[in-house]
Amino acid sequence: MSSNVEEKVNHASNSKGISLPMTRVKLIMKSSPDVSSINQEALLLTTKATELFVQHLALSSFNNGSGKDQTLLYSDLANTVEEKETFQFLTDILPKKILVRDYLKLLEENPIEEADN
Amino acid sequence: MEEDRSTTDASQLTLGISGEYMSGGYVLQSQDDDGEESLNDHDDVGMKENFREQDIYLPIANVARIMKNGIPQTGKVTMIAKDAKECVQECVSEFISFITSEASERCHQEKRKTINGEDILFAMSTLGFDMYLEPLKLYLQKFREAMKGEKGIPGVSVGEGLGEELTDDSFTNQLPAGIITADGQQQNVMVYTTSYQQIPGVQQIQFS
Repeated sequence: MSSNVEEKVNHASNSKGISLPMTRVKLIMKSSPDVSSINQEALLLTTKATELFVQHLALSSFNNGSGKDQTLLYSDLANTVEEKETFQFLTDILPKKILVRDYLKLLEENPIEEADN
Repeated sequence: MEEDRSTTDASQLTLGISGEYMSGGYVLQSQDDDGEESLNDHDDVGMKENFREQDIYLPIANVARIMKNGIPQTGKVTMIAKDAKECVQECVSEFISFITSEASERCHQEKRKTINGEDILFAMSTLGFDMYLEPLKLYLQKFREAMKGEKGIPGVSVGEGLGEELTDDSFTNQLPAGIITADGQQQNVMVYTTSYQQIPGVQQIQFS
């Protein structure tokens, strides 16, 4: 986009409440394989949807979690992702945390086979 | 499976089971719970063989602010653990990629090169985010009104990166067009499409 148009788009989108950098969103979109180009409407909708997603995830996790002291924890997120179908695409990148000693115990009980790459 | 436990132990390991990224087995990432260490230090365990879309993140401050806006305010200040913020950063990139690849697939199926708004909306619906559809459509409408209202634009022209691969394929559906213009200098065209809304009686504008 020419900078003039970009300004106008930014202004219009900001005035309606987008607070994420669309250029960065576009970068992420473009890094998907086989994506050649993205029209402005698609970029806008994706950016806005991302905002909705963040709020949705945060709220679900917060409601789902301990909610102690109005704090959102990583564990709240991990639990929500496990429980809610909508968020299950995130399970790979949002593993639950485990203490070292618990992990070692787990290993003892379930020895991992040698990885056969 | 592993359980999450609160602990006074300062260090925790993140157990990453990432079957689709690695050939198998467990991945351990060391991470300080006090949040000083970045969650995104993947180099230690070589989780990635090549550069992935998940490596690009949206700024954490923006993400954190939006998270806070989503949480009801009770009068107490909302706190979000640092690793939670970082985690949502990654989730966001994952989400964007998730939607984009679905939209891209549909685009290819219809033999188009440019992902348009309808592709995105369709992807949302397919992937279980149909609860976002109404707010998104509403938002799009308001955005167009805001763009129209911007002084000095009869329409919108685009440079490289957006819309330059707009082809006749984009017009195969019956579409009422919002704003169309051709910038004689740049020879690029931007078209707003509302293929998910049929407005009867609106004359179809064809660009050739």
